[in-house]
Amino acid sequence: MELTRYIGRRLIQIAIIFFVILTVLFLLFRLAPGDPVSRMVDPDMTPEDAEFLISQLGLDQPLGMQYLYYLKNFFTGNFGESFHYGQPVIEIIWARLPNTILLFTTAIILAALVGIFLGKIASWHKGETTDTLMTLGALVTHTVFLPWLGLILIWVFAYKLDWFPITGMLSEEVWLDPGAGIFTKLIDVLHHMILPLATLFFIHFGSYLLIMRSSMLETLKEDYILTARAKGLQEKVIRNHHAAPNAALPVVTSVGLSLAFSINGGALTETIFTWPGIGRELVMAVSQNDYPLAQASFLLIAIVVLLSNLVVDTLYAYLDPRIRY
Amino acid sequence: MALLEVENLSIGYHSQKGYIHAVEDVSFSLEAGKSLGFVGESGCGKTTLGMALMRLLPPNGVIREGRMLFEGNDLLKKSDEEMREIRWKKVAMIFQAAMNALNPVHRIEDQIAEALLTHDPMCSKEEAMKQVEDLFVFVGIPKDRMRDYPHQYSGGMKQRAIIAMALACRPALIIADEPTTALDVIVQDQILKEIKSLQELFKISIIFISHDISVVSDFCDDIGVMYAGQLVEYGDRQEVFTSPVHPYTKALLSSYPTVTGEKYKLEPIPGETPNLINQPSGCRFRHRCPSAGVSCKTESPVWLKLTPTHRAFCSSIR
Repeated sequence: MELTRYIGRRLIQIAIIFFVILTVLFLLFRLAPGDPVSRMVDPDMTPEDAEFLISQLGLDQPLGMQYLYYLKNFFTGNFGESFHYGQPVIEIIWARLPNTILLFTTAIILAALVGIFLGKIASWHKGETTDTLMTLGALVTHTVFLPWLGLILIWVFAYKLDWFPITGMLSEEVWLDPGAGIFTKLIDVLHHMILPLATLFFIHFGSYLLIMRSSMLETLKEDYILTARAKGLQEKVIRNHHAAPNAALPVVTSVGLSLAFSINGGALTETIFTWPGIGRELVMAVSQNDYPLAQASFLLIAIVVLLSNLVVDTLYAYLDPRIRY
Repeated sequence: MALLEVENLSIGYHSQKGYIHAVEDVSFSLEAGKSLGFVGESGCGKTTLGMALMRLLPPNGVIREGRMLFEGNDLLKKSDEEMREIRWKKVAMIFQAAMNALNPVHRIEDQIAEALLTHDPMCSKEEAMKQVEDLFVFVGIPKDRMRDYPHQYSGGMKQRAIIAMALACRPALIIADEPTTALDVIVQDQILKEIKSLQELFKISIIFISHDISVVSDFCDDIGVMYAGQLVEYGDRQEVFTSPVHPYTKALLSSYPTVTGEKYKLEPIPGETPNLINQPSGCRFRHRCPSAGVSCKTESPVWLKLTPTHRAFCSSIR
């Protein structure tokens, strides 16, 4: 119950913060250099035509009116049409967002689970060879430059060994084949996903391992660990039941941050593997002055950041009873 | 046979500056159902002594010499697994830092039940919970607070919960290391009375570690005064408290106020405790001792037997 109340309170806070973001975003787009009209208006247009276009976009209205329209459009789900695609923005986003979520949440959750598990073991063997090797390995994978790792993986496993496809997310021959079952299609996506997944996994799991390791070492100094020892508990129980739940808290924070920033920060990975995700779309929208698409993408980022914060907070409250109050 | 017999126990820590002689040549014995108090200033080795009895010293700590006979068996000869079984089932502990001695992410009832379930594989979860309920009655916490988390408890309640936990397996010996130091005097008094009555009820022996000689003298049958890792005076509560012999015990007593006794000027002990890495020759207390003689500088003190129970580690008393 206390958990439900806590989540309810957080939801109200999130709604308020989102409204502030909505407003700031509106102002930012009006203050930003560059003019949406010049992007749309053909130099050959007559001034009358240009003015007609401007009034159609509502840009001749006072700022206050524009803001009200903006809010109305947002709450009715109308994000306008992309300048570049000539398609409703919402359709583009719905087509791209699930791909990003699929790739990044899978990679980060896998990395977190493996990182927590290995970090726990490393801390338990502090100073021994196991620990040294794990820490060293984590440092190397953590500091490797992501595009480099991605390209090397493509070169070795896709180009040289030809185990995995080089680009994309789907194979046309599978998806256009009416006889292909859902299982075959799933396998096809998974096959495409392995390399980007491996790249993201390697980049992230090292930092989780290191955070978990140092957090475990701190936790093991706590008095309640001494109590657990004095109680005659087995080392395994002390490690898994008494130390790990407390030590995992900083990892949860870090996972939340990674998830929040995966949507935009993932542009690099998505570009290297030509993964049809939202990160790549956002970068293109900004560089092509595609105002409606960029605006909607930024809003989406805000929503994802807020939601992953909520997930982290909820997880935190679940793991640490002190947070619930 | 005494429940616990400690003979010539020496404990130290390896540190970067050298070997620290934390406890040296300490011997004492404790009968079943009795209580023994160790008193001394910070760093005198009393906590190290308590931890060593449970074999819970930090990794750099070593028990160099001596024997710790518990129910006739030397605890130092036990394997880790045997020792793990003795912990809490036979020897439990009430910790110095009560505020953090409970795990913040687990419910109090589960933490206490865990001790029962670990040491009695036959005990069912329901049975354990029933016993936790009884323990809560003993220590005076309402039953409906069993499912709370540690942060929902006040300091006094946490300490009661820890006492309940220490009693869970009905141990023969409880080591209480500054059990009330973090509490205000009123709660401190309640908790001490509670420990006392529970000790009598369950016939448990207690080793009580404190820097506060008035608390120890109130509580314990015997008192051991420690200074710089050595036991300097040992005896019956009455003997040590009313007729102290060692200059350090005397100084310790006159540096504490009494509420009911006559007024006197409190005397701080001048100087500082000696370095435990490079120990001074002769008596360790001589630099601060008002009655130190010439021989105290070169000759190590000897035990002076005053009565069959009372002894002091000093050469300047004749």
